[in-house]
Amino acid sequence: MDDLRPTLMPLGDQALLVRFARRLEMRANQAAISLAHHLVANPPAGVGEIVPNLVSVLVRYDSEITSFDALAGALRLILGSEATEAELNGTKHHIQVRFGGAAGPDLEAVAAQLNLDVPDFIARHNAAPLQVLTTGFAPGFVYCGMHEEALHLPRRQEVRTRVMPGTILFAAGQTAITATAIPTGWHVIGQTEFRNFDPTATPPTMLHAGDSVQFEAMP
Amino acid sequence: MKIDITRAGPLATVQDRGRHGHFADGISASGPMDAAGFVRAAQLAETAADTGLEITMAGIAFTYTGKALKAGFSGGAFTLAINGKPEQWNAAYTLETGDKIDIKPGPAGNYGYIRFGADLDVPVVIGSRATNLIVGLGGFEGRALRPGDSLRLVPASGEILHAPETPVAPGPEAAIRFVWGIDADRFPAETLHAFTQSSFTISTKLDRMGVRLEDRDAVFTNARILSLVSDAIVPGDIQILGDGTPIVLMRDHQPTGGYPRIATLISADLDRFAQLRPGTKVQFAPVTIAHAQALMKKAR
Repeated sequence: MDDLRPTLMPLGDQALLVRFARRLEMRANQAAISLAHHLVANPPAGVGEIVPNLVSVLVRYDSEITSFDALAGALRLILGSEATEAELNGTKHHIQVRFGGAAGPDLEAVAAQLNLDVPDFIARHNAAPLQVLTTGFAPGFVYCGMHEEALHLPRRQEVRTRVMPGTILFAAGQTAITATAIPTGWHVIGQTEFRNFDPTATPPTMLHAGDSVQFEAMP
Repeated sequence: MKIDITRAGPLATVQDRGRHGHFADGISASGPMDAAGFVRAAQLAETAADTGLEITMAGIAFTYTGKALKAGFSGGAFTLAINGKPEQWNAAYTLETGDKIDIKPGPAGNYGYIRFGADLDVPVVIGSRATNLIVGLGGFEGRALRPGDSLRLVPASGEILHAPETPVAPGPEAAIRFVWGIDADRFPAETLHAFTQSSFTISTKLDRMGVRLEDRDAVFTNARILSLVSDAIVPGDIQILGDGTPIVLMRDHQPTGGYPRIATLISADLDRFAQLRPGTKVQFAPVTIAHAQALMKKAR
């Protein structure tokens, strides 16, 4: 992890961001999730919320109890130790997806752009479990990745103003699952019954960064 | 005890301290746009209640039904009438059953607060009663209040807030202070310099999610930074959209974003910024983190 050289920077006067990279790369994502898990288990004094993002960790703190410098010092010690290099050991989830048709209007175009037929694309898409890279763009929204290089595709030119909860999105080497209605520029390839957001439940979401997701095609 | 809304300007909502700790679930904290004004209304009402009404510039009118109940009014500068009689803003009154409260726009501010000697009886959703309009969560059915809505009030238990000894004077029209943002190093030095030297205008496009600024000095006209990795957002972040529009993210912001952030307003100035009306010119001044935190300490 030492060659990742994380940057510790203020995000306003009540939060600190530990950024492991400026591009999305798996080892930066792993490092962010590992650090977040370590901090949740061993929070430094004055630390409130700890949130792993794609390549960074947000650490909110109370400036009455600690300062940016004091916290950055404590975090550098943690980052310099082996403590955060533990293997991710998340929960494995199986998500049933109805691919294509009305539920996945972009599926055929996606497969065509990748020079695959639809059944091949679905098979390759579901071939291996993906990791939850991060959560939180919208309630219950999860990014899963990364797919093999051959399945990488940029976003669509046009943005759909609204897709429904349970929509399976595909772009940038990732598959995402919506849990609320949102606008999106990603390709819509399917739909799931699974809802990763229930405001009456504690916690309100089930999938967390570091978990793994096995997508399965519904007949 | 209840209030029946007879008139509501846009985006009048129920708020409490906010729904903290749920960024990873995809939920920002919400809570009052002018947090100090929200607390001041509770201090005036000497209430232990967590909840209160946040109103926008257009105001609100409602009828109170129930036993005598104290209510505090603060935040912004609105005009208040009770049963048609003009009363002071930034003050507390004891409401009697049948009283008609009418709040109209005043000379300054976007957000006003009404706190009662009782709690607004709305369900706790994910640990808070605050309305999150972007998600449609919490508050009164997850939405802004409308005429015809009836809200029950229930006894509050908790620590009673008392009025401060000296009333808090509104701040001078000084620059809004910031600390440099997480993507500041992506902007050319001239742009960073111009950002601190130019003035921006509060646009009419403002709500609980964000305040768009008019960049009449064209500081960001040629700023083209795209495709950043999505990262955590905090209230006060100034994000530069793809077309060069600066937007200051507020309490109902999306939890993550991929546009570059040049600066983050300091916590001590966020309330004052929220109260700036469309058309107001604003300048931004950089401070250190240590200074920003010392100002927060003083404000508490």
